[in-house]
Amino acid sequence: MRRRTLSCTVGALALACGWFLAQSPVPSANQAPSSPAASAGQGRGQRGQQPPQSPRAIAPRDFTGYWVSVVTEDWRWRMVTPAKGDYDSVPLNAAGRRQADTWDPQRDETAGEACRAYAAPAIMRVPGRIHVTWDDDMTLRIDTEAGTQTRLFRFGARRTEASASAPTWQGDSVAAWELSGRGGGMFGGAAPKPSGGLKVVTTRIRPGYLRKNGVPFGADTLLTEYFNVLGPEDNGDRWLVVTTIVQDPQFLNTRFFTSTHFKKLSDGSTWHPTACRAS
Amino acid sequence: MHPTRTRVLVALAAALTIPLVARTPSPSAFQERASPAADRGRGQSQSLVEYDDAVQRASPTGVDFTGEWAPRFHEDEPERVPGPELGDYLGIPINDAARVRAMTWEASIQTLPEWQCRPHSADYIWRGPSPLRIWKDVDPVSRQVTAWHAEWLRSVDRSIYMDGRPHPSPNAPHTWAGFSTGTWDGDVLTIKTTHLKEGYVRRNGLPRSDQATLTEHWMLHGDVLTVAAITTDPVYLTEPFIRTTDYELDLHQWVPPYPCQVVEEVDRKPGIVPHSLPGSYDASSDFANRCGLPVEATRGGAETMYPDFRDKIGFITSKCIAAQR
Repeated sequence: MRRRTLSCTVGALALACGWFLAQSPVPSANQAPSSPAASAGQGRGQRGQQPPQSPRAIAPRDFTGYWVSVVTEDWRWRMVTPAKGDYDSVPLNAAGRRQADTWDPQRDETAGEACRAYAAPAIMRVPGRIHVTWDDDMTLRIDTEAGTQTRLFRFGARRTEASASAPTWQGDSVAAWELSGRGGGMFGGAAPKPSGGLKVVTTRIRPGYLRKNGVPFGADTLLTEYFNVLGPEDNGDRWLVVTTIVQDPQFLNTRFFTSTHFKKLSDGSTWHPTACRAS
Repeated sequence: MHPTRTRVLVALAAALTIPLVARTPSPSAFQERASPAADRGRGQSQSLVEYDDAVQRASPTGVDFTGEWAPRFHEDEPERVPGPELGDYLGIPINDAARVRAMTWEASIQTLPEWQCRPHSADYIWRGPSPLRIWKDVDPVSRQVTAWHAEWLRSVDRSIYMDGRPHPSPNAPHTWAGFSTGTWDGDVLTIKTTHLKEGYVRRNGLPRSDQATLTEHWMLHGDVLTVAAITTDPVYLTEPFIRTTDYELDLHQWVPPYPCQVVEEVDRKPGIVPHSLPGSYDASSDFANRCGLPVEATRGGAETMYPDFRDKIGFITSKCIAAQR
């Protein structure tokens, strides 16, 4: 009797353990429940004793490499300098229009402000190549050909030392992998996992231009961006799509949406950085 | 081996096997549904007995795009709302055949009875001036999404099938919506569309042939929908033509009815189709001249899409402003 009881108890405990394991998410190379990204305010439904994996280690897609912007949209406002007063498509308020109408590229050039149109809210829209690399395991880096700018996307908490410094053209960017689902639920849904996208929030940006012709953004601008790598397409193309949302209480009536696409290049042989130009 | 020890080992083996089986990812909780055609051939019916909840929760079901979506015209607003200017082919990878056809196009063709109710095709409509509604078909038993539907103001219902059905024969009819099937890549919905009727890539006569195919990627970021639409056309394009467009969720928006009626807009003799003969229409340079842009650039072509084209045309300040439209 004691032996039967013992075997039944062991069997029941083992089955219970098996059921518990079955409820945990399917592990994959793209997933790290205890990742720093998840711990930055997004981790839910995490189990296990694995050491934290870096954002670089759990990157759901390969964002690195050389990419070239393909200008099939807003050509008139990107490939040439728009005319003064041409702020078509931008939800500028009256203050923004007044400010745009004072644009003087010569003044900017003389004042050493030629990079105003190359700041974070505008730089992905400036035609050119970009080079995406990992600066370290926690920092994704984008170098731009146009204006020779560098953007640093830091995963996890914002750098405290940066917050005390003066605003810069590229601001402070905090990055996180987008997660799919919230987990939990009535029957214990699967834990959230990276959905493939990258979210970047940028603040403390030095005031500049949304467009080359002086369409302004202010000091309190909040920039939210979503990066997705797409493909390969049937012809082998890979695309990087950046959805950009600019919120500026000073010069915009509403959120300003643009989405910009880049095609993957095989190498950096055509890389040719250029300086900022005010006009 | 002692009977008790045997029973313990069997119990442990079973316990370790269950999670391994349950944790195996699969595209469908209904294993038999992976091949609907095969099911029909065998005369089998779907049954809840085949359903595996653990598999269902691990399956790549993507994200829900259902909702009312408001277009945001923060890109190319003058082209998308009032309409493009004649001769503006900037940044589009057209070939000479497309250029010739576009330069024989007359806007008054839209007044022909046959053209008045013509909807925008699946590839262009994302860029059109219209609210968008997206909804889904759900299988009542499996509760899986079997199709997505997208509808705009002046368009047919676009169906995107998610049940793995094949595209029809090349000889099947072509429609404004085409035939679309979707698959998930993470939370990105990738859609392949074939069987499109002839349409246009810009509303100023730039043609798109009925041999074109369309690949779309739908991406949801909070309350923002971004769609990358990539058109490949062996007849009129030299490279795939990509556009990315943004919509914002607006639960107070409704797509109004659009019961288009054909009327006689222009009194003209039967059989007359507005057009210009090749080489006889020079208004296509008006846009370039007015905006201070090189005519060569406004003629379009793949070269004009890439940043290096600026080295060719130099640093130019446009003369176009909205007030001049």
